[in-house]
Amino acid sequence: MLYIIEDMINGVLMGSIYGLTAMGLTIIFGVLKVINFAHGSLLMVGMYATYWAITLTGVHPYLALAMVIPAMFIFGYYLQAIVIKPIFIAEKNVREPITVIIVTTGIWYILDNLALLVFGPQYRSLADNPLKGKMLEVGGMFVSQPKLFGFITAIITASTIHWFLQKTVMGRAIRATSMDREAASLMGINQYRIYNVAFGIGAATTGIAAVTLLPFYNVFPTVGVLFDIKCFIIVVLGGLGSISGALLGGIIIGLIESVGPQFMTATWTEAIVYGLFLLVLFVKPSGLFGQKHDW
Amino acid sequence: MTMLQVDNMTKEFGGLRAIDSLDLTIKKGMILGLIGPNGAGKSTAFNCIAGSFAPTRGEITFDGTRITGEKPWNLCKMGLARTFQIVKPFASKSVLYNVTVASFATTGSRKIAEEKAVAVLESLNFGDKKDILSGNLTIADRKRLEIAKALATEPKLLLLDEVMAGLRPNEVDEMVDILKALRDRGITIFVIEHIMRAIMALSDRIVVIQFGKKIAEGLPSEIANNEKVIKAYLGEDYVVA
Amino acid sequence: MNHQHFNKVMIVGLLVAAFALPLVVRSATYMHILVLLLFYAYLTTSWNIVGGFAGVLPLGHAAFVGIGAYTSTILSLQYGVSPWLGMLVGGVLATIAGVIIGLPTLKMRGAYFALATIAFAEGFRVMVENIDYIGPLKLNGPRGLQIPPLETGLTSFMFATKEPYYYIILVMLLAVMLLTYIISRSKLGYYLIAGGEEPEAAMALGVNVARARLIAMAVSSFLTALAGTFYAQFSLYIHPKSIISLDMSFEIAFIALIGGRGSIIGPLLGAMLLRPVSDFCRIYFGDTLPGMHLIIFGLVLIFVMYYQPRGLQEPLSRMYQRLFTRKTLATTGR
Repeated sequence: MLYIIEDMINGVLMGSIYGLTAMGLTIIFGVLKVINFAHGSLLMVGMYATYWAITLTGVHPYLALAMVIPAMFIFGYYLQAIVIKPIFIAEKNVREPITVIIVTTGIWYILDNLALLVFGPQYRSLADNPLKGKMLEVGGMFVSQPKLFGFITAIITASTIHWFLQKTVMGRAIRATSMDREAASLMGINQYRIYNVAFGIGAATTGIAAVTLLPFYNVFPTVGVLFDIKCFIIVVLGGLGSISGALLGGIIIGLIESVGPQFMTATWTEAIVYGLFLLVLFVKPSGLFGQKHDW
Repeated sequence: MTMLQVDNMTKEFGGLRAIDSLDLTIKKGMILGLIGPNGAGKSTAFNCIAGSFAPTRGEITFDGTRITGEKPWNLCKMGLARTFQIVKPFASKSVLYNVTVASFATTGSRKIAEEKAVAVLESLNFGDKKDILSGNLTIADRKRLEIAKALATEPKLLLLDEVMAGLRPNEVDEMVDILKALRDRGITIFVIEHIMRAIMALSDRIVVIQFGKKIAEGLPSEIANNEKVIKAYLGEDYVVA
Repeated sequence: MNHQHFNKVMIVGLLVAAFALPLVVRSATYMHILVLLLFYAYLTTSWNIVGGFAGVLPLGHAAFVGIGAYTSTILSLQYGVSPWLGMLVGGVLATIAGVIIGLPTLKMRGAYFALATIAFAEGFRVMVENIDYIGPLKLNGPRGLQIPPLETGLTSFMFATKEPYYYIILVMLLAVMLLTYIISRSKLGYYLIAGGEEPEAAMALGVNVARARLIAMAVSSFLTALAGTFYAQFSLYIHPKSIISLDMSFEIAFIALIGGRGSIIGPLLGAMLLRPVSDFCRIYFGDTLPGMHLIIFGLVLIFVMYYQPRGLQEPLSRMYQRLFTRKTLATTGR
């Protein structure tokens, strides 16, 4: 029994990190209404940024946040402003511009393979890692310390973004654009600037996820692909565009992955994840916590 | 003979009531005008009738059949056609292609569909533009294309959402003539319009709504002198002064 | 000679050239590359029925290739069923799978459909990689299935040389292009394009958009699975990573998008342009600059979307018309 509780705790912790990883994707979708297929690549870029920030300066892994968040924000902001925006403008009459999705796929291919050219295929992990393998003992149960930090970070990040969207002027402009971009631009909001900012926030959030992952995860050029599919499943489970939904969707996946192996082989837990995904699409396609779908 | 009957229709979005217990009757072969200030719920009423979304409460009957919540493509096949306030041509395709999509509603053969489409375009004096890319049309021609598409589905009832907005005065006159000719061919028309001159010239009856509620109904001459209507459009001060 | 007549002569000329090509190309390596080029052109043309005409973005078509390959191979290895019959069974199973994914997702925003297809394909690959047996059926997990050589010939779908494979996939490609042409001129084709461009307007004109898309998805899944059997018989070895890979799903989509989605010739054009690029990049940069061809893919993709969002088919066919037919077109729409 204790084992199961221990697994559940670790599942929730890991799941919240999954949720944090998917949060940037859901933010960008919520505003731009476009799936960012370069999301995993953003995570990969964030992880390399974290890796080099820590390796070159020797700071505590979590202090890298101070460098990674602004760096990723700027990266995302200008990626949208320079590469994606022109496509949006060219297709402004199209309701759901597929070309934008495709361009993000092109970005994915370029970033991943550039990383391969520059950094090589080898796996890298932090050489001097104060969090490595650290466990916390609570009543006979062991809880991974870096994952606990990740959990706390995920909660703080989600609350901060929620506060930002509800209470600040920029946040309200972002919400207005996400609800009705035409109406918002009639009210004097520059929708393309909002897109830049939303993309920047999405990238920065993904950077935070990268920082929480690095203390217990290797970085390599295709690391993003491993998380891509998981993120897609999480955002559909939680409802595309919903921040709390991403967190809860992540926790569901984390729980299945950690508790499942007690009862079945790991393959079947993966199968259950995909099965749940299809089931949700059939029964409640807007996601477990999402708004009703629209065309 | 009643073509469309709307009873006690209400539509709510979240807590917001866009349409409030609306009753409407359109007799066969007439033109009914629907007017009201911006945001009065005119397009929402159209969207409920045309099946874009189901009303929260109320009943809609079309030509003797209950159609509340029916899907738009089925309504189209039953003979209810509509245009959109923001025109939506299939922009990468020619005018003829656009209209052919619509005339497929009554046939499976491309040859017949295309012939019908050409006939509709010619009846609107639009035949010479059939090969133009619809995305390159002027506003007036886009509105005309929108009507051509609706007509090609062979409707009994036509819902027109601001087909004259953005037209020049002579184009408005031409459109009024076109619509009257359609009515004379036996098509019932329900029209939303902002241009007062046009709607007064066109409608057999007019319904006025404000905040989703009907505030007046009658002949165009009665509506023009109705105090409530003038208030709704011009504000209280105007009437008192 | 009027332009229609000229076009017909042109098409006949190209067909003759395509059928005569193996007489000229004697190298087995080049024949192999050509067969794969046609294989990708076939896959992309099948993809195009739903991805091009219906205006949605399926990104998991490799799953259908896998279903086709595994179905015919298992039936033939374990039950001695002819691969030709297995091909049809695989097609039917893929159709069922395609309809199951499409049913809930094709009536929602395109993003859901794109994500569902990816997740389905990945989920399917994970399953196949981890399962050795489903009941009596041997899948052999990540090791894949080897098809032992049998007597060669048309009935066994197995040949000693590349040429017969070339002709089979060529005929398959021509058939599916003809089918695409017929669909594009039918009610279904008009409905798919209308629903792809403006779903709401199309619905008001009597188009059940979700149903039209679902039909397209069913046809596309069926045709894609047939190519899976072809691939299995051509390479005589299938394993999950090679045949249900995300890379294959994306390459199919890329070829269509760069060539020109929603056009009949676009997929073939895309395959003719991109396949050689990736083959040669792999040969020349494979060791020194790994992933170079994918960077080129990505860049080409972004630039094509930027300057020719309807694909390279559009400027190329304009060029063709200017060169050969001197007919000024007021419209590019049919």
